[in-house]
Amino acid sequence: MKTASGQSILKLERVSKGFGATDARREVLHDVDLAVTEGELVAIVGFSGSGKSTLVNLLAGLEMPDRGSVTFHGKRVRGPGPERAVVFQTYALLPWLTVRGNVALAVRATASGRSAAERDAAVERCIALVGLTAAADRRPRELSGGMRQRVALARALAMNPRVLLMDEPLGALDALTRAKLQDEIVEIWQREKQTIVMVTNDVDEAILLADRIIPLNPGPRATLGPAFTVSLERPRDRTALNHDPAFRSIRNAVTEYLLDVGRASVPRCEQEEAFDPLPDLEPLPVGGAA
Amino acid sequence: MKSGAMRLLDTAGMPAMAFAIFLGAWSLVASSIETSIGRLPGPTAVAQEARNLLGAHTEERRKAAEYAQRMKVQAAEAKTAGKPFVVRKYSGPPTYLDQIATSLKTVFAGFVIASLIAVPLGVLCGMSPRAYAALNPLIQLFKPVSPLAWLPIVMILVSALYNSPDSMFEKSFVSSAITVALCSLWPTLVNTALGVSSIDRDYLNVARVLRLGWWDRIFRIVLPASLPLVFTGLRLSLGVGWMVLIAAEMLAQNPGLGKFVWDMFQNGSSQTLAQILVAVFTIGTIGFALDRVMLAFQRAVSFDA
Amino acid sequence: MTFGSTRALRIAALAVSASLIVSEANAVAIEKDTLKLGFIKLTDCASLVIARERGFFEKEGLYVTLEAQANWKILQDRVVSGELDGAHMLAGQPIAASIGVGTRAALITALSLDLNGNAITLSKELWTAMKARNPELAVPNPLHPISASLFKPLVDEARDSGSALKMGMVFPVSTHNYELRYWLAAGGIHPGFYTASDSTGVTDADVQISVTPPPQMPATLAQGTIQGYSVGEPWNQQAVLRDIGVPVITDGEIWELNPEKVFGVTADWAKANPETHLALLRALILAGKWLDASLENRREAVTILSKPEYVGADPEVIANSMTGTFEYERGDKRELPDFNVFFRHHATYPFYSDAVWYLTQMRRWGQISEGHPDAWYEEAAKQVYRPELWKQAATTLVDRGDLQSGDLPEGDGYKPPSSAFIDHVEYDGRKPNDYLKRLAIGRKD
Repeated sequence: MKTASGQSILKLERVSKGFGATDARREVLHDVDLAVTEGELVAIVGFSGSGKSTLVNLLAGLEMPDRGSVTFHGKRVRGPGPERAVVFQTYALLPWLTVRGNVALAVRATASGRSAAERDAAVERCIALVGLTAAADRRPRELSGGMRQRVALARALAMNPRVLLMDEPLGALDALTRAKLQDEIVEIWQREKQTIVMVTNDVDEAILLADRIIPLNPGPRATLGPAFTVSLERPRDRTALNHDPAFRSIRNAVTEYLLDVGRASVPRCEQEEAFDPLPDLEPLPVGGAA
Repeated sequence: MKSGAMRLLDTAGMPAMAFAIFLGAWSLVASSIETSIGRLPGPTAVAQEARNLLGAHTEERRKAAEYAQRMKVQAAEAKTAGKPFVVRKYSGPPTYLDQIATSLKTVFAGFVIASLIAVPLGVLCGMSPRAYAALNPLIQLFKPVSPLAWLPIVMILVSALYNSPDSMFEKSFVSSAITVALCSLWPTLVNTALGVSSIDRDYLNVARVLRLGWWDRIFRIVLPASLPLVFTGLRLSLGVGWMVLIAAEMLAQNPGLGKFVWDMFQNGSSQTLAQILVAVFTIGTIGFALDRVMLAFQRAVSFDA
Repeated sequence: MTFGSTRALRIAALAVSASLIVSEANAVAIEKDTLKLGFIKLTDCASLVIARERGFFEKEGLYVTLEAQANWKILQDRVVSGELDGAHMLAGQPIAASIGVGTRAALITALSLDLNGNAITLSKELWTAMKARNPELAVPNPLHPISASLFKPLVDEARDSGSALKMGMVFPVSTHNYELRYWLAAGGIHPGFYTASDSTGVTDADVQISVTPPPQMPATLAQGTIQGYSVGEPWNQQAVLRDIGVPVITDGEIWELNPEKVFGVTADWAKANPETHLALLRALILAGKWLDASLENRREAVTILSKPEYVGADPEVIANSMTGTFEYERGDKRELPDFNVFFRHHATYPFYSDAVWYLTQMRRWGQISEGHPDAWYEEAAKQVYRPELWKQAATTLVDRGDLQSGDLPEGDGYKPPSSAFIDHVEYDGRKPNDYLKRLAIGRKD
């Protein structure tokens, strides 16, 4: 079993972020606090559209907060960088490059000091890590969804990151591929001793993979809810877990929390009766005009 | 599920039928139109004239060969007599095939010049909204200008500025190529800007996460991602350039197909209309071929992202 | 030594030195032997074509490419820019360029390419109307020359009804323009003035004259856009053979043996390539001589000129005017051995008086905006026309035995005064201002 080193390396402190012009501003996140410990696998679960991608972008440095601070190793994050690698929801593979090319791009950008031979070795290692050596010369359009996600993962790992930020990485895959990749992620996490922040909308997945689960309340002005620690022993077997009472209790706790929070946040249209009521219709009398 | 026969009909049969109907209609109409320089020629007359032009080409090549032979003999004689002798190039008129070659060379020169200007400018406009805002009015202003309006200015400037005595290129070639470039650079510029400005944000995010420098960003991410639209632009530009070239040649006197058409028109002979129609079909066929070639390139760089 | 053998020795010495001179003359280096000359597709480019096709250029050590040009303006621009070493030009072009009518350029000419060679063609409708008013025209072979006064009433009617008759010519400073205007003015019709604000030359015009490219003339005549045009061959005979129009007068009937085209080069080019220039002149003079030597030569010239890279018109059309005949109204074909003249009557010599005549016509119609003393006309002519170069070339030819000494004109470059015009007004090249005063229509100063 892996133990976290205890150091908090990535922090969000009272972060707020909104979009739009000043008079039509939509605040997506409000007063968000998050502390990610080195070596842990944190899962953030929540509703669709509640700002999960914004959260990842803020952690990565792809966007700047309106208020509050994002710090990495205590220093303010001023922009994105390979130390906080991102695995995008849409994979974002460069379609004109092969698998090897995509991974090599990352290696070349982050390991410029090393020799060509060392770089090539690193590329092959990352590809092997995700089990795609046989398909290394294929282009993304020739790969299945699961394989594409693995390439994205390999590319992220090739950057030698301190933190892996994953934005709903398995959302677009079928159940079987998803299961396989979940296992691979855990394996890689353990082997490479990574820190992973993973955003997902699947509670079961979160419990299966994470050390901590932090729910994201529904927006607008979303905040993070209380963290649920997952103290289940690893390796966590999917089928066995179904019978584990500890699993079930965490699951219920998280799900109930999310449902409560979801119910409490009433949809705006009901509040404001935004749409015009339909007009009353009077039937015409049969047999002639009134 | 279409059978093989039906598919053959669609791809080859229908166009062939349409073409046959076109030829028939042309034949019919032509025999009834009398112009100031004779009857409008029908398909057979035009085909005959095409054969004549090829025959004239072969004849001219034979004369050139004879001349070269004569020169060789004279050179040998001069050598034995110890006298200096310079071999002169054959000074006959360019044949129809020579003129086609000249037109192709000119359009490619113009196309290359246009691409060298349009692609970098397009990348700049696509990446910087400020640059686009600054350049867009100029683009919209110059885009619609006809080659016949540019040509006199270009010719005057080339005469004034391109002046070395043993220049590699004829002034008429330079004028024509520059005019082609000025008129055909717009589709490439606009499409490149569009391609660059509309690349998937995620690709740029990948570049940002990797902290790529501007050179890598442009050449490894932006350009490859926008290549399909860039090639669409290039293809459109080549089409425009080919059309513009014919007009430009007529005035700039570049010895290509445009000059051929105008010279034959000036002849006013009974073959004139047939010759011009041969040129029309040649121009169309070459334009079609150029387009297909560019389409192949375009397909090669497209990716189903 | 006896007297006889001394004389023999002297003759022998003379012969040796003469042959040395001759071989030296041939051995004088030509500065540039590969040349490109421009021409317009009209039959009077014949000297250039024959000089190439019959080897006259090659005999002088010149390797010449002939390139047809799109129009007179482009031809002139390309000579000035150096793309063409020299060209077939309208007699008025070097003159106009030197004095700044149109684009200014320093062009000179040392050789006239031909005399006569143009005609004025009217539309069939106009001719029919003329015949209706003038029964003497309605016979099979009407008396020539036909004066423009015979259609003046039609001109006046058209002008008064608001749609003046329109005629075309090839270039603002073309011989065709001046001949057309002369003919109209001689018939009492005002062809229009050029003014500071009117560069198309239709001020006060009874007939509006405009520039039309020769290949488009038959079509525009048939359409009715113009009712007549003044142009060289093959465009008049083309109109006859296609039954579109009727040539009513040739320019030889307007002014007997008038100068038509010249061989023009830039002054700088001539200065930089004097030997080449002389070699070109020699070849062109001999080509002209060949053309006028016999009917058979003319027939051969027709075959050569009808090639698509030269004039390109059908051989019958070219032959109609090149072989001693000219066809007016369809079927009215007459003997006209001087329709175009390439060598006889000193056709190749550039007379100053010819240049002055063009200058007077430019002044007459306002292209030259102010009056000038006679000395100005003389100076302008001498700047452009270089008969001394012609004489040098011709003398060499006489020495070689290719020309007779009688082929060289005597005098100082001015032809004697002559009234061989359709209106019999006397023209003396030395007194241009007097001449202007005597012409009825046009500026008199």
